[in-house]
Amino acid sequence: MSTLTLVPPVVVVLATAILVGILPRKPAHALGALVPALAVPWSLSVPAGTHLQTTFLGFQVAFLNVDEFSRLMGLIFGIIGTVAVLYSYASDAENVQTAFALSYVGTSFGAVFAGDWLTLIFFWELMAVTSTLLVWHYRGAAVRAGFRYALLHGIGGTLLMAAILQHYVAQGTFMFTGDGITAGLPAALAAVGIGVNVGFIGLHAWLPDTYPRPHIAASVFLCVFTTKTGVYGMYRAFPEGNVAIAYMGGGMAVFGAMFALFQNDMRRLLSYHIQSQVGYMVAGVGIGTTLAQAGAFAHVYNHILYKALLFMTAGVVIYRTGNENLKKLGGLAREMPITAVAFTVAALSIAGFPGFNGFVSKGIVIAGAHYDFAAGPLTLGTDRTTLEWLLLLGGVGTFMSFIKFGYYAFFHGEYDGSVKDANRGQTVAMVAVAVLCVGYGLLPGTLFSILPFDVTSESVVSHVYKTYTVGHIVEGLALAVAGLVGFYATKKPLSKLGRVPDVDALYNPVAFYGMRALVYATTDLYAAVDRAVIRATSVTTHVVSEPNEVVRRLRASAQDDDSFAYPLRAGIGFSILVLAVFVALAMLALS
Amino acid sequence: MIEQLPVLLVVVPIVGGAVPLVASLVSNRSGWPIAALTLAVHTALAGWLAWAVGTGGTIDYAVGGFAIPYGIELVVDGLSAAVVALVSAVALGLLAYARRAGPRSNAFYSQYLLLVTGLSGMAVTGDVFNLYVFLEITGLAAYGLVASGREASSAVAALKYLIIGTVGASLYLLGVGYLLAVTGTLNMGDLAGKIAAIGYGSPLVLTAFALMVGGLTVKVALFPLHTWQPDAYANAPDTVSAFISALVSTVAAYALARVLFSVFTVDFLTAVPVARWTLVGLACVSIVAGSALAVSQSSVQRMLAYSSVSQFGLVVAGFAIATPTAVVGATVHLLGHAVMKGGLFAATGVIERETGASTVNGYAGMGGRVPVGAMGFSVLALAMVGVPPAIGFVGKWYIVLGAVRAQIWPVVVVLLASTLLTLAYFAKLVERLYFAEPTIYEGEDDAGAAPVADGGDSPVSTGMLAVVVGAAVLAVALVAAVPALEQTLLETLPPLLDQ
Repeated sequence: MSTLTLVPPVVVVLATAILVGILPRKPAHALGALVPALAVPWSLSVPAGTHLQTTFLGFQVAFLNVDEFSRLMGLIFGIIGTVAVLYSYASDAENVQTAFALSYVGTSFGAVFAGDWLTLIFFWELMAVTSTLLVWHYRGAAVRAGFRYALLHGIGGTLLMAAILQHYVAQGTFMFTGDGITAGLPAALAAVGIGVNVGFIGLHAWLPDTYPRPHIAASVFLCVFTTKTGVYGMYRAFPEGNVAIAYMGGGMAVFGAMFALFQNDMRRLLSYHIQSQVGYMVAGVGIGTTLAQAGAFAHVYNHILYKALLFMTAGVVIYRTGNENLKKLGGLAREMPITAVAFTVAALSIAGFPGFNGFVSKGIVIAGAHYDFAAGPLTLGTDRTTLEWLLLLGGVGTFMSFIKFGYYAFFHGEYDGSVKDANRGQTVAMVAVAVLCVGYGLLPGTLFSILPFDVTSESVVSHVYKTYTVGHIVEGLALAVAGLVGFYATKKPLSKLGRVPDVDALYNPVAFYGMRALVYATTDLYAAVDRAVIRATSVTTHVVSEPNEVVRRLRASAQDDDSFAYPLRAGIGFSILVLAVFVALAMLALS
Repeated sequence: MIEQLPVLLVVVPIVGGAVPLVASLVSNRSGWPIAALTLAVHTALAGWLAWAVGTGGTIDYAVGGFAIPYGIELVVDGLSAAVVALVSAVALGLLAYARRAGPRSNAFYSQYLLLVTGLSGMAVTGDVFNLYVFLEITGLAAYGLVASGREASSAVAALKYLIIGTVGASLYLLGVGYLLAVTGTLNMGDLAGKIAAIGYGSPLVLTAFALMVGGLTVKVALFPLHTWQPDAYANAPDTVSAFISALVSTVAAYALARVLFSVFTVDFLTAVPVARWTLVGLACVSIVAGSALAVSQSSVQRMLAYSSVSQFGLVVAGFAIATPTAVVGATVHLLGHAVMKGGLFAATGVIERETGASTVNGYAGMGGRVPVGAMGFSVLALAMVGVPPAIGFVGKWYIVLGAVRAQIWPVVVVLLASTLLTLAYFAKLVERLYFAEPTIYEGEDDAGAAPVADGGDSPVSTGMLAVVVGAAVLAVALVAAVPALEQTLLETLPPLLDQ
């Protein structure tokens, strides 16, 4: 037993979060940046295997399970945790917010290093709580969005818990067996429950609803952990893949990119792109072969880098201009060159331009869809599969929307007045991540070495993956050209488009009025029964005891009675009546 | 000595309860120290008893040396030991709250100790008629305590509580009468055997079951027999609210479980499925309706009261499912709910005294003004929702697990939905406390706050805050005691749960 496995990382990070909340601002953020950084060498060197097994509530659990998948997650979580704390410090985040953010980071560590379903769902739910607190901390419009976020994640977590319980009933253990979740109803419930976290189409509305609203530094944390832990959970539940999930991934890639194109709020646009990019990962997990899974996790790793970078650049623009709307920005490239360059690197990465890290990992997923997946109904007469076409189409949409973002924010027109560029801390954070994006793009071997499966070995994957082949580069450039053409073709109509309604325009009112109707129905029904019975009783006694007065009253109009002012408070007599009826019914039922 | 412990648990508080009345001749301020001394002894004895049951198994005691089953028998197994330990601990802890907050007369402390007598007696007795006697002692003391508030509404609430509670207890007594008529015995262990011999289909047995369970359901306050409960909880003085919300319904639910498992037994529930499904159905209705009523309240104390209706639905569902896992869960939730709900009521008292806020809207922004009280309230609220690692999570978890293993899927759905429903009203309060603009500002509430007695004292004492914080800590720390409790229950309850 190595000393590295004595304490699970979640304990260390949560303890740090508490200290960060107490200490003065500067040492707090220094500590907050240091501890996730320590997770990087720890993740690389901790021995594989299941550690810290114990019994909890009478069930066998493992608080620390290390394999190549959790190792990769721990590594990237550590890197981005450090960068995001540095960025928080530079962006004037309060201590308490950073403390909430670190507790969110810590519980994410807990989830990806869990060795059993019980521990996983435990930290999964805590992630929902801590991230909600992180959103709420910004007050204002973030509070209501936080409520919707919490509610949806509560439902998703409950579905996943139901799946895990049935899995337990079927298997007799919560431990990971390597076979995923029991097929049938548990698998379906798990897919939908995890689907909330990864943003399945129809369950995704919380993403663009929540992520644009909190503090700019909070968005950097949020864009990383929940959805990627979801992808990780999806892999644990479906290690063999699933055709429907793969197609859902393809659909998400297209849907997210398309809706991103309609947006003018910067962070809202980026949030739709989370859905789109997570679509590639979900597709990789759904395909289920070693090549596709390696691609999915390579994409998790790269996506965290460039998406955090994108949220940082958007954050800097908001920080300096106070404006979220692309229609009110423009010409910032001259004012903020560092931010513009960082944005360009991130945008080329996410769009999968040759030479950047997104090109490498997206290529692996597409190769997986090409070589390891059924052709499907729509091949358009080529040797490409339907899923591959969906992923390529998502790529075109990504190019289009990032050309739009860059054009309107940085290049279009001139900005009135002068704006300062990113401050020193923000610059360090952005440049560090930008260097990684380019580094992994130019030297894909370094990325391959941390993947769970070696994509360059013929004995491991069905088709050896080479990053820079003529075909791949042509494909990348063709997507870019298609994106450019597409943007200029749709620029006019898009600029006239108002806010496009998403599914939440439907289900927010449905949930709200549905809940209200349930509450009203229960209370009003009870009140109505109450009123009816009391009125009937009092009328009866009155008629019997004061017949003359009743006759007189019949001529006059009815009068209001004070005793009906509190319809929900049953009187003594009514309560006894209910009791008598209840016992009588019980005896009737039993006899 | 160990055999005498059960009877001492009843004798000590009843003797202690008589002392303040006599002491009033000398001083009208002597109630608190006498109660503290009595309850310290009581807690020590209860702790000893729990330890003895945990290590040595069930303890019996024949009162007055009369032969069983003719004399009264006291029986303490894991379930009763846990409940009596809870009663002692909560009663002792709340004294710290009562010193500043509570009615201060000696008569109050006499009633307080009398209530402890009744509750302890209900927990340790092994005789159905003796249970009725202690049920009435508990009831009378509780009616008196509710009426000890200064407002007229306290008296009305107490009257309502008295009439409904007495009718409920009378129904229970009627059921006991039927059982006596058909079996000729009142001893629980003896009854279990004789009822089985007569046959579970006998109309007299079935009638007795309906009357006894119906009567106890009133005391537990399940929907729709809960009508006395919100008024009583919301109109009583703060100390009393915390005390009775923590213990009175809890011990009544214990009595219900005792009647189910020790008198009628699980075999009865299996032989008469309609009895089990009626109870499970009633519990499920209670969970949903209680939560819905809680959501619609504007007064925080009434909201907490309706929340009890919902939570006791969970407990009764666990007992009615009657598998070992579900019973362990129901017991854990029963004990955990007592600590959490008592703590929540204590916290509402602190917040109201400090700021005058008593409604959901009034709670806005109070997180900053009453930091300790609001933090305790939030921790307890989240624990009640079932956020791990709090005790509320463990109890619900076992109940859900029991329902899953018994494959009663509709109940599983209701249980899981209950978490969301609980979240619905507690999240609203926590959000108000911390993330909303205040509606009551410092200074403007002076007229509304409770009058400050004894001149310069602050309305909230350290002891009161300690009770809130202690409840919040216990709501998490009690999880550590669950394995021991589970083991003791499974060791001492097998004859009841052996299916």
